[in-house]
Amino acid sequence: MSEMISHLTLGFGVALTLQNLALAFVGCLVGTLIGVLPGVGPIATIAMLLPITFGLDPVGALIMLAGIYYGAQYGGSTTAILVNIPGEATSVVTTLDGHQMAKQGRAGVALGTAALGSFFAGCVATVVIAALGAPLTRLALLFGPAEYFSLMVMGLCFAVVLARGSILKAFCMIMLGLLLSTVGTDLETGQERMTFGFPPLSDGIDFAVLAMGVFGFAEVLRNLENPETRDVVKAKIGRLLPDWNDIKQSINPVLRGTGIGAILGILPGNGAVLGPFASYTIEKKIAKDPSRFGRGAIEGVAGPESANNAGAQTAFIPLLTLGIPPNAVMALMVGAMTIHGIIPGPQVMTKNPELFWGMIASMWIGNLMLLVINLPLVGLWVKLLQVPYRLMFPAILIFCCIGIYSVNNQPVDVAFTALFGLFGYILIKLGFEPAPMLLGFVLGKLMEEKLRQALIISRGSFMTFVERPISAGLLVVSVIVLTIALMPAMSKKRDEVFTE
Amino acid sequence: MSLNRIERAQSLRIRSQQDLAAGLFIIALGALAIFLSWDLPMGSLRQIGAGMLPKAIATICIGLGALLALSALRYNGEKLSGWSWRGVIFVLGGAVLFGLTIRGFDFGPIKVPQLGLIVSGPLVVLVSGLAAEDKKWKELIIFAIVMTLFCALLFKYALSLPIPLAPWLLGI
Repeated sequence: MSEMISHLTLGFGVALTLQNLALAFVGCLVGTLIGVLPGVGPIATIAMLLPITFGLDPVGALIMLAGIYYGAQYGGSTTAILVNIPGEATSVVTTLDGHQMAKQGRAGVALGTAALGSFFAGCVATVVIAALGAPLTRLALLFGPAEYFSLMVMGLCFAVVLARGSILKAFCMIMLGLLLSTVGTDLETGQERMTFGFPPLSDGIDFAVLAMGVFGFAEVLRNLENPETRDVVKAKIGRLLPDWNDIKQSINPVLRGTGIGAILGILPGNGAVLGPFASYTIEKKIAKDPSRFGRGAIEGVAGPESANNAGAQTAFIPLLTLGIPPNAVMALMVGAMTIHGIIPGPQVMTKNPELFWGMIASMWIGNLMLLVINLPLVGLWVKLLQVPYRLMFPAILIFCCIGIYSVNNQPVDVAFTALFGLFGYILIKLGFEPAPMLLGFVLGKLMEEKLRQALIISRGSFMTFVERPISAGLLVVSVIVLTIALMPAMSKKRDEVFTE
Repeated sequence: MSLNRIERAQSLRIRSQQDLAAGLFIIALGALAIFLSWDLPMGSLRQIGAGMLPKAIATICIGLGALLALSALRYNGEKLSGWSWRGVIFVLGGAVLFGLTIRGFDFGPIKVPQLGLIVSGPLVVLVSGLAAEDKKWKELIIFAIVMTLFCALLFKYALSLPIPLAPWLLGI
């Protein structure tokens, strides 16, 4: 306990400097600014805003990125409530009751409840991260290559099961991501793999190029094709702060949502996405009058939004302690960290304690900032929602182009990104959801390295993965998860959950 | 589900164009990867060679693609929808033009001078803006100028990233 307090003191010492406070503020502000635009989800937001952190020192850059991430998340909820367009899977649930509340003239209360619930969840999640950070890092240091490999296999299995749409297609995407990660010079033998003899490819496919191509350009193409139906709320926003009655109704859902979200978020593999669904289902089940749900029940906003934010934050735990991103957004954070010269993993905490604890402390500050920025600025967000897409996407493009160019100052990267944009568009057209591909791509190199190390240690025997108890346990969990998901009864239920 | 069963009892035919195309696409990518990594040594399990993982993953891809394509013959699914070439050409074309002009380009017979952000910025906004069906010329031109100025101020001055603005005109 005293260890945790001393760590947090160190962290707040870093995060509370004027420069880092300003960065957290700017990060939250621009994150919300971009995240609130309909059709721009958190992945696209972070990919687009990555270049504005390039000139900063690593600590500042990560604090700002974390701010952008929270801002993008909260921006997604705002769009869900006001326009009925979920920014990403986790705010789908918020559209159900949040948008209904907005239609009844209670948009302000819905936004206020979401912000307050998220803030509370963020506070709890920060403490959870601070408490689990040190012990989990020690655990991670016990992991050998075999355990790491099995852990990543498990993470990818979870990602397949929890992806939207067909399991088989999600599987294809993960494999494609792994395949793309093998392009470039092989680190151990120095041989070039699948580069077409083209020199820019010998360093491998750049992460930013892939991410911005598939999530920036291809998303623009997808959005251009579906003429949008923006159902911007015409009713007044109304007062923002929930009254005593609202608070009494939402306090328990917030508590339950925070707990559910925080636990699910820690799972390697995209557990965070389940939080809001689980919370909504539970609230509906235990409500005295379930028929109110879907018609503007405040519990249906408070619970899922808290679960969403708690999960969004505890998803940092596998990344910071084990170096394994649990979902596509965290995979982007890995990419961002690598650009700043930090390899995420257990060594970050021991080698760079200011960075590790500073970032955790800044999470709490970021949540506070969101509350301070968002509520007074609701009017501005509503205005932003009315920006027509015909102006939005050229702006996205020029940002992406400058961003990609700035990663390596290579004009050819921009052309590559356009190529990946086309690739992403083809995938979308064929009904693939590209998020798992990004995860596979980021994990691919690490998996190959660990697989090789494990096999060298075991002298070429695959038995090492089942003989070592932790590794065997992780593989058993992956097999169980996959079998359950593939059973016909479950896959039907899964479809229901994701279409609801 | 029951309808699906009845149909399944009938002959095999393409029930989901989208899944069939998706399966074939993944098979093609896997085959391409195997072709490209053909000469790379497999190595042994004890000392994995450069070619082992690409080939192994590509084989799994082909297997999954085949499963997907076969399932398209048994289960009903979505049709392929039309392609919007307009978006592909203008949006991606705009980005390529940006890449060509930002720092110049010299490839065989094609030579583009280093034009910098002052030209590349409006170019990408204007060309990509053509992809919108409801475009308005006046609005788009003003927007292109404003966005370029904004990006120049933000990236070049506020964030001091090394982006050429207009070397031929301003020398920066």
